[in-house]
Amino acid sequence: MADLELDDVTKVFQDDSDEIVAVDSLSLDIDDGEFVVVVGPSGCGKSTTLRMIAGLESVSAGEIRLGGHVLNDVKSQDRDIAMVFQSYALYPHMSVRGNMSFGLEESTDLPGDEIAKRVEETADLLDIPELLDRRPGELSGGQQQRVALGRAIVRDPEVFLMDEPLSNLDAKLRAQMRTELQRLQDDLDTTTIYVTHDQTEAMTMGDRIAILDGGELQQLATPLECYHEPNNQFVAGFLGEPSMNFFDVERDGDTLVAETFEYELTDAVTSDLGDATDLVLGIRPEDIRLVAEATESHDYETVVDVVEPMGDENTVYLQFADVDTGGHSLVATTSGLRQVGSGDQIVARIPEETIHVFDRDTGVALHNRSLESEDLVEFSPE
Amino acid sequence: MTETASHTDDSPSDQSTAPGAPGSRSTLDRVNGSSILLYVVLIAMGVFYLTPIETGLVTSIKTNTAVIQTGPFTPPGPGGFTLAKWQAAIDALLRGMGNSLLYAVPATVLSAFIGSLAAYGLTIPDWKTHYKAPLLALFIAGIFIPYQAVLVPLTQFWSNMAPLNQWLSFLWAMGINNDYAGIIELVVTHVAYGLPICTLLFRTYYKNMSEEMVESARLDGASLRRVYQRIVFPLSTPMFAVVLIYQFTQIWNDLLFTLVLVSTESSAAAPVVLILAGLGTSLEGQDFALRMAGAFFAALPTLAVYILFGDEFAEGVTA
Repeated sequence: MADLELDDVTKVFQDDSDEIVAVDSLSLDIDDGEFVVVVGPSGCGKSTTLRMIAGLESVSAGEIRLGGHVLNDVKSQDRDIAMVFQSYALYPHMSVRGNMSFGLEESTDLPGDEIAKRVEETADLLDIPELLDRRPGELSGGQQQRVALGRAIVRDPEVFLMDEPLSNLDAKLRAQMRTELQRLQDDLDTTTIYVTHDQTEAMTMGDRIAILDGGELQQLATPLECYHEPNNQFVAGFLGEPSMNFFDVERDGDTLVAETFEYELTDAVTSDLGDATDLVLGIRPEDIRLVAEATESHDYETVVDVVEPMGDENTVYLQFADVDTGGHSLVATTSGLRQVGSGDQIVARIPEETIHVFDRDTGVALHNRSLESEDLVEFSPE
Repeated sequence: MTETASHTDDSPSDQSTAPGAPGSRSTLDRVNGSSILLYVVLIAMGVFYLTPIETGLVTSIKTNTAVIQTGPFTPPGPGGFTLAKWQAAIDALLRGMGNSLLYAVPATVLSAFIGSLAAYGLTIPDWKTHYKAPLLALFIAGIFIPYQAVLVPLTQFWSNMAPLNQWLSFLWAMGINNDYAGIIELVVTHVAYGLPICTLLFRTYYKNMSEEMVESARLDGASLRRVYQRIVFPLSTPMFAVVLIYQFTQIWNDLLFTLVLVSTESSAAAPVVLILAGLGTSLEGQDFALRMAGAFFAALPTLAVYILFGDEFAEGVTA
């Protein structure tokens, strides 16, 4: 039972004469029993971070501590950490039973019957007792996935590391395993670090998510905080599907001037902006209301370009009516039952309490949407 | 095949009802054409490879007169048949077979095992490249050293630097013929010269092994030695088959080192190749039947090794 701390952890790869910084001064404090999802685009350093915690990569600078003990120079096999790999990495010449007992045989002095007992308990927990005597080659992808999980769980380690464990499964199975993993982690209460590039997994699974880009931590917070109160434009754009609409704007007094429209601000927003003038206006697709007539100052005449019906909702690509910009300029989502057709004239309402404003140079969020509205209370974590 | 084709021709009504029928006839013809060619080539290759073997086999069971009177690959008539040549060949070669096995088996097993270990060290552990690369370069250089170039240094080494004949005098005192020092020299020499190619073969195999699997084993608490013992070694079976077959054939058939290290066929430790070289040759001319019988008998162990590891061999070659 121990906290996992990463303190200014840096990883530099040498490539001939170049130095490539894969992870840059990353600090994370992960509480005992917490489920943290590390998420980011390819090459953001998330897998390298995981491999450093596992001891599969050396740490260039900084410290990794588990329960106060520095892990940097502890060998992988002595770290009491179990990892689930994307490829499952099962031992093909051993039965499922052999795969699952291997870790206990190598890392503990438990007698054979105790190991057998634990393996069978874990197999029951994962609902795979009938697979114990088969070889990995005879199993389906989903079954192999369960065995890989079982191999980690049976050891009862201090920390689970999971490197995109669900990415080789088909969509339906992935959704099912997602919930099952959460249930397991709740039961076992083992500190877990889960790496993924899939934002659905990040949003749904973690107690907290750590968003990485270019080897640097962008934000470490609960999923809903990251979604509604992003630290910067990267986080805002990374989370959410379809992603947030961004418009480059110039501030002119109380007005944000974009290429195709102008947006009036009240004091509630302008007070957050300081004296920056080069800004980015952000609005999530689901916050845009589609109405019949323009009645407020934040209503804009648009023409529907393309509609993507998803069943539960429609993704609607809109163009501002006055200006022919040539591309999609605004993405909104509406109820799937709402009839919207290509070429329709429609008014897009961009409510001021839902907008985000970012500094265009640094990307830092200057103003985030307000979360005071009553309907959000029941969604907020804890 | 022709039957199927004519059947299609005879029943045009079937053709019109079967889906995709119009194209099927030309497909059938094409398949027939290419498979006929394939079989012709296969048979020609079979004849090409089997003729010398058949010639050798029938020659080995002929009497001296039958060898002269019948054609090389015609079987002997009832009067020209004899197993005496096989009897003579086995009598002459049997002790050589024993001697050959005495060094070929340990040398094969040792070079395969050490090669596998060396390749494991050069591939799997995350030791720094600038330590591994020069070592690997040395191994690869070893592959290209011609046997002829080392003959003199080799004899010098065994007579001056490692005089086994003196070191092992206690064995000779126990009644073992001191010619057997040559067998030990052959084992060590063949292991040394087989090691580079064995290492390279295993290295290529280990390079393709799943890195995540090995990492997973490390995280499961296995040390480097245990990872080799429980994961890498058991998964190397196909490559062991390749290396065992290759090394055994090389070592069994090698004449050069046996000539240098054991030298005479009259020696108690003479390997089979050394005796075979002189078998059936005399001032009166060549005894072809005896030479053929000897060659077949001496080749039996290599044949046995192929049959024994054939399946794994195929798996290792295609891996």
